[in-house]
Amino acid sequence: MDLGAGVRVMSTVLTPSTTDELASIVRESVAAHRSLAVRGVGSWSLALARASAAATPLSMAKMSGIVEYVPGDLTLTARAGTTLVEIEAATRANGQWCPLLPWGTDDGTLGATFATATTGPFRAALGAPRDIAIGVEFVDGTGAIARGGGRVVKNVAGFDLTRLMVGSWGTLGVITEISMRLRALPAVDSTLVVQCDVEDPAVLARIDAFRRGPYVPLACECIGAAHAMTLGLGEARLLVRVGGNAAFVAESVRRLGELGTVEAHAPELWAHYRERDPYRRHFTDAYATPLAARVKRKFDPHGILNPNVLGEVTS
Amino acid sequence: METLRRIVGDRHVLTRSSELLVYENDALPGYHKRPSLVVLPGTADEVVAVVRALYAAGLQWVARGAGTGLSGGALADDVVLLGLHRLKKIISVDPIARLAVVEPGVVNANLTKAATPFGLHYAPDPSSQTACTIGGNVAENAGGPHCLKYGVTLNHVQAATVVLPDGEIVKLAVPADHEAALDLMGAFVGSEGCFGVALDVTVRLTPNPEGIRTMLADFSSMDDAARATSAIIAAGILPAALELMDQATIAAVEASVYAAGYPTDCAAVLLVEVDGPECGLDDDAAAIAALCRECGARDVRTARDATDRARLWQGRKKAFGAMGRVASHLAVQDAVVPRTRLAPILARIAEIGTRHGVHVCNVFHAGDGNLHPNVPYNADDPDENARVHSAMKEIMELCIAEGGTISGEHGVGFDKLPYMEKLFPGDSLDAMCRLRDAFDPLRRANPGKVVPSHACREWISAPGFGS
Ligand SMILES: Cc1cc2nc3c(=O)[nH]c(=O)nc-3n(C[C@H](O)[C@H](O)[C@H](O)COP(=O)(O)OP(=O)(O)OC[C@H]3O[C@@H](n4cnc5c(N)ncnc54)[C@H](O)[C@@H]3O)c2cc1C
Repeated sequence: MDLGAGVRVMSTVLTPSTTDELASIVRESVAAHRSLAVRGVGSWSLALARASAAATPLSMAKMSGIVEYVPGDLTLTARAGTTLVEIEAATRANGQWCPLLPWGTDDGTLGATFATATTGPFRAALGAPRDIAIGVEFVDGTGAIARGGGRVVKNVAGFDLTRLMVGSWGTLGVITEISMRLRALPAVDSTLVVQCDVEDPAVLARIDAFRRGPYVPLACECIGAAHAMTLGLGEARLLVRVGGNAAFVAESVRRLGELGTVEAHAPELWAHYRERDPYRRHFTDAYATPLAARVKRKFDPHGILNPNVLGEVTS
Repeated sequence: METLRRIVGDRHVLTRSSELLVYENDALPGYHKRPSLVVLPGTADEVVAVVRALYAAGLQWVARGAGTGLSGGALADDVVLLGLHRLKKIISVDPIARLAVVEPGVVNANLTKAATPFGLHYAPDPSSQTACTIGGNVAENAGGPHCLKYGVTLNHVQAATVVLPDGEIVKLAVPADHEAALDLMGAFVGSEGCFGVALDVTVRLTPNPEGIRTMLADFSSMDDAARATSAIIAAGILPAALELMDQATIAAVEASVYAAGYPTDCAAVLLVEVDGPECGLDDDAAAIAALCRECGARDVRTARDATDRARLWQGRKKAFGAMGRVASHLAVQDAVVPRTRLAPILARIAEIGTRHGVHVCNVFHAGDGNLHPNVPYNADDPDENARVHSAMKEIMELCIAEGGTISGEHGVGFDKLPYMEKLFPGDSLDAMCRLRDAFDPLRRANPGKVVPSHACREWISAPGFGS
């Protein structure tokens, strides 16, 4: 709430617990000329910092929980506020995993991961959020509730609202529910650290050749010296995860052995590794083109959703 | 019309009814719509000039690739048809980045042919791949047998240059990992020609696998074959392809020139392929064979060599063609259901077919739960036509009720409009209309397709709607 003359009172955080409640909040906000800063559990300061300070925080934390999970279908539907930790626990109990594994921690929510299209070190092997999402429910900037896609793994019915929402950073709609594909955990899942000189161009070329296959790893990351230290890896700077059946993994390990000494590590290493996002997100002025501006006006005509986060409509 | 002739040359504007005849239908049987005229540009610049001329003249139009679409997407009902098959240049193939840039009229199989010298291929492989175009594939988000492991068209398109219906040229691209930007590329894929014309498309190329094992498992009940499908998926092995064909399909294939040596006395066969590096491949194949046997397979045989494999695949890839020989028309159906529900749903489909006296042939992407319950029939027989349509309607409604969808790869087009409101109740269709309106505010491109216009609020409230 802005009381003028620079006096500002921290507005309370809005915390809807149902989609209908959220839709009413949005409609009331339109009427009250109030804008909203959408957040998951608020673990990602970057996104929050970009939202206009005048916007009222809207937390999705209460809109959480798995809606449907049929392990045999390898699909899962959950509300946006569900944390990745919860998804991970539910799927692991069935020998499956959530393929997102984004940079950052698993304390974040499913909704935020898809809304920000955050990838991680396993992106090349397991897909990006746009490849993993199969359906979405959202509330747009007028308070309308819409769904795109569905709960099955292949679907071309209707225009693709799912791809529109994934990566739109809450500027076109507030994602309330996501359906996604899962993966079965590989029979053998090995985390390996290889001692080799990742500064030597010849070695780098061989690492690249390994990455390109045919024994395609789940991840193959060269890391900085300081980072290796904090991860307790000493001099070793090549971090690899291979997954598959026993013969596949054995051959992968043999090939890595040609690069240097291979050491097995616990898979928890990846959780630590993911904590440091190697990218600084580059924010484009997403709404600077006439096409994007029209999209924005069609879904958030009053400009109340996450103002500023992807730039403003300028054309 | 003079303007169009000036842009593309006299030869490439068709107006005589004998010439228009060819463009009256796509691969959806039983429907004919005559375009007002056909214009066939030969370059991207010509496409842009044509679209701008049509915009200036206030005319609606429909883009068309090869016309193999199965939902009537390329039907032009008294509007201009914009044929793109002359734009067939492969602009570049980059084997290091594993990317190719192609014009929209490039035939799917020709792209793979161009990538072959580099040990690469274009992964989405619709059964129509020797005819359909990349532009049509992008518009329909086409799939194919190997999409189970490799993903559908959406997962392989990186960027595109698009001319919007108002003549503006936009570059769309999948945002990079470090970029915070809208994925309008993703929104464009599957937009069924309603968002503009793709002038060039950048696609990913996939390395050819080191090894391939192709297996044929035959079952004495459909139920067992469906259970084997679920068992393989649940076991966490990701086959490159997992296709199911039922007795009726096998009979049609084996009676045709595409005979693949499928056992004609079984109730269903599963065609399962695993591919990848050699180490570990035999173990995956053995695990799949064991699961099939556990689920009641009578026999599991592995293709001996490349020729044998090609033969097994030929039966599958030409199954639609083989069925087409059984009667004058073939209703090709397309729906997706949860994979664990395959067995009971197939039983219900059989029951629906029997009740309406129609001959359902199932041949489908079982691994994805993507059904194709097809019906060979005679569309000119009004009674049979009506029975086929009633059966199809019931099958669609069954798939919706089971938590599935009405199309996995062929699109909504014109054929499936009647099911959209049941599938997307509430405000969803209106949201889809708004997305379309952002690309094409005046609705010039492919009018009347994908979303029923009465579901679009802005259009209902606009003056003149329905008049
Ligand atoms: C025997 C047979 C087997 C088939 N098997 C499969 C299969 O396995 N998997 C599958 O997914 N499909 C399959 N199909 C369906 C069909 O081949 C695909 O939908 C294909 O992608 C259509 O390509 P096309 O070039 O023929 O497009 P068309 O039929 O000409 O057009 C289809 C749609 O695309 C639009 N369009 C075409 N070009 C452009 C462009 N450049 N820019 C924008 N819009 C454009 C049109 O307006 C139309 O809406 C099959 C069809 C047949 C006949």
